Amino acid sequence: MKAKSLQERVEHLLPAVTKPGRYVGGELNQVVKPWESVQTHVALVFPDIYDLGQANLGIAILYDLLNQRVDVAAERAFAPWVDMEAAMRDAGIPLFSLENKRPLADFEIIGVSLPYETLYTNFLNILDLSKIPLYSKDREIQHPLVIAGGQAVFNPEPVAPFVDAFVIGEGEEAALDIVDAHQAWVESGGSRQDLLLRLAQIPGVYVPALVKVDYHPDGKIKTIEPADSRVKLPVVKRILAKLPPPLSRFLVPNVEVVHERVSIEIMRGCTRGCRFCHAGMVNRPIRERAAIEVMEALTAGLDQTGYEEVSLLSLSSSDHSEIIPLIEGLRELLTQRQVDISLPSLRIESFSDELMDGLQSLSPGGGFTIAPEAGTERMRNIINKPLRDAELMDTVRSVFEHGWKSLKLYFMIGHPQETLTDVEAIADVCKRVLHEGRQIAGGRVRVHAGVSTFIPKPHTPFQWAAFDDPTAIDAKLTLLKDALRGSKIKMTWNDPRASLLEAWLSRGDRRIAPVIERAWRKGARFDAWGDQFRFEHWESAFAECGLDPDFYSFRERDLDEVLPWDHINVGVRKSFLQEDYRLSLSGGVRPDCRDQCYACGILTAFSELRRAQPGGGWKCP
Amino acid sequence: MPVNAHPLGISRIRVVYAKRDALRFTGHLDLQRLWERLLRRSKLPLRYTQGYHPRARLNLASALPLGFISDEELLDFWMDEWLPLPEIQQRMTAVAPPGLEIYSVQQVDMGEDALQVQMKASEFVVSFYDPQNILELNHQVEQLLNQTTITITRRKKTYNLRPLILDLETATAPDDAAILRMRLKAEAGATGRPDDLLETLGYPNTAYLVRRTQLLLN
Repeated sequence: MKAKSLQERVEHLLPAVTKPGRYVGGELNQVVKPWESVQTHVALVFPDIYDLGQANLGIAILYDLLNQRVDVAAERAFAPWVDMEAAMRDAGIPLFSLENKRPLADFEIIGVSLPYETLYTNFLNILDLSKIPLYSKDREIQHPLVIAGGQAVFNPEPVAPFVDAFVIGEGEEAALDIVDAHQAWVESGGSRQDLLLRLAQIPGVYVPALVKVDYHPDGKIKTIEPADSRVKLPVVKRILAKLPPPLSRFLVPNVEVVHERVSIEIMRGCTRGCRFCHAGMVNRPIRERAAIEVMEALTAGLDQTGYEEVSLLSLSSSDHSEIIPLIEGLRELLTQRQVDISLPSLRIESFSDELMDGLQSLSPGGGFTIAPEAGTERMRNIINKPLRDAELMDTVRSVFEHGWKSLKLYFMIGHPQETLTDVEAIADVCKRVLHEGRQIAGGRVRVHAGVSTFIPKPHTPFQWAAFDDPTAIDAKLTLLKDALRGSKIKMTWNDPRASLLEAWLSRGDRRIAPVIERAWRKGARFDAWGDQFRFEHWESAFAECGLDPDFYSFRERDLDEVLPWDHINVGVRKSFLQEDYRLSLSGGVRPDCRDQCYACGILTAFSELRRAQPGGGWKCP
Repeated sequence: MPVNAHPLGISRIRVVYAKRDALRFTGHLDLQRLWERLLRRSKLPLRYTQGYHPRARLNLASALPLGFISDEELLDFWMDEWLPLPEIQQRMTAVAPPGLEIYSVQQVDMGEDALQVQMKASEFVVSFYDPQNILELNHQVEQLLNQTTITITRRKKTYNLRPLILDLETATAPDDAAILRMRLKAEAGATGRPDDLLETLGYPNTAYLVRRTQLLLN
């Protein structure tokens, strides 16, 4: 009897698992190239299930870019859900790509997207399911090159031992450079070490094996230095001088995924400088796409996909200099076609009546969301999201006057210097909002408070701050729940233990890697999924590795301490962050830097690039 | 314009198509959305439902269980303007996803019953991943057909499968493999499922592939 192909073996077990359509590919606009027809095979991996990964814009962009090259085939792979993992392990089936149904170990390059820390165990699980050694040092010449990128790896250290090379920053150009370097290396017949050295020469590429870290006896970092004279530190992140034409050729999934819509990034970066915000610091400088380019891409995307929804992505949509023309364009689109429009991330300060009118006409009957982040003016100044109570209430009134009935307010607790008065104020704000809403729009008004816990993030002014004590967080949540009881305001909050895990991982160093491995071996997977998260695995993993988790979460760092990510330069100077942190202690604010430059360092870091490629839509003054 | 055309140009179009390959794992609800998107991409002058979230009006004949492939599926949709049938087929084919093959389109009478109402029965062919002995299979089929009641429990509801089996026989495929052919009733509230029948015979759904070969209408 002839041996069954991998594809046949997979298909035979699929009827027994949930949502088998996750594992078969075959979507409209999928690119399948004959395996032997290309020189370099790249597996693009999002380490969560298809339902999430297929909706990820980063993966979609790289898939499109890499497949435009005739010498490259980019294929996709995602984490199998727990039932499929069990079935695959049972049948001895390795993780495979959706296009050619090839084991991941057959690819030359594996590119993993790590947008958040709670994907780390899934990443290890994927390597293991692919029969690829977990640690970079154990991989040999026949193994794929493992690349990681994404928002989380601006601090690459917690997963550094598992990754051959990181892309720090924007991946569009770096991905192509990595393929070129790999091809040149194959031709040269060099060793794996040669490959790593070649990669380390690419701007924005960080090869952790070529960097060594030494520690003080108290566990703090002493030095981070190149392990090879040919390696230069710091690694400066990669950015594009001008955003490329947006993607309009999207895959159309055959089974339901989280977002099924044409998503267009209208700008990259943010000028608001909220001190807790990782994305706002690491994605500078601000670069916009022209409204006309956005509208053309939306139209082309709708034609390509047949989707019924469009979404404009950015960190602060209402700050786009052409937001009014954009909304006009969307309104026109709405009258031509039956589509829903979503426009997230709107800033309270930037609402005009004109904008409100436009938004209401786009989404009648929808809800409105604003994020004051804190309940008092004092606290909002500390986090540099300055907003007077009166302004907040003006905006709220305007929302209800324009016809919205449902308002969602986002807050964070656990900010540096937060007192119980600040927390109580959150409940007061919510109640006042509900009261105003009822005055204006009547009894059907609904107010929803989403409360998350502040997590200090690398490369932000709060990177030195301590993560709030769990008992304090519990007390604050209890206070809010009590204060809102019987008020008809719906409140939702994050699991404080999930936030604690994120706090450990986001500011971790290399010594965390064995903890991640151990937690994974104990069964930690899908840590971002409330029903799969097993906090106890992490606690025991830390204990067994002899590492004190409090060192990473609850310790306030000295301003002159060497931080695990000090060798990664995101363009914002450490001295600027220090200055801004000090300023926060006295309640000093730095409003929108579109109007006034505070010299964060980004312009100096990329002045040459900006000069070489002018006209990139930079909105720095 | 054909003689039986609606005075306002509204027309009802019936599509005969096959569903194969990766699409066998796209369920009924997802297939509905897939068709809506395909029709939007085709830019045909679709007739939309009224209301807050207007949707293209379309009608699938009969849900195909997840994992099955089909040589013949039926779909009706409505257009606001009349277009030549070859153009309709060409425009749909140009934007169809892999695994969906459009065999034909025809115009049908506006007054016809909905496809689901017209459905009478479906025919299926079952092939097994591991070769089966045809004599044993014959014996199993004979035993099954001799029963007057075959109680099936699906989603906590029980039904008697036996009266829904209109026809069941073994056969040999061109490669000499033993296969099963069956015709099962497919009326509203009385639809027999091949996977239920096969489970009664002792085959789990990982042991075989079912192909729907024909839909029988009124």
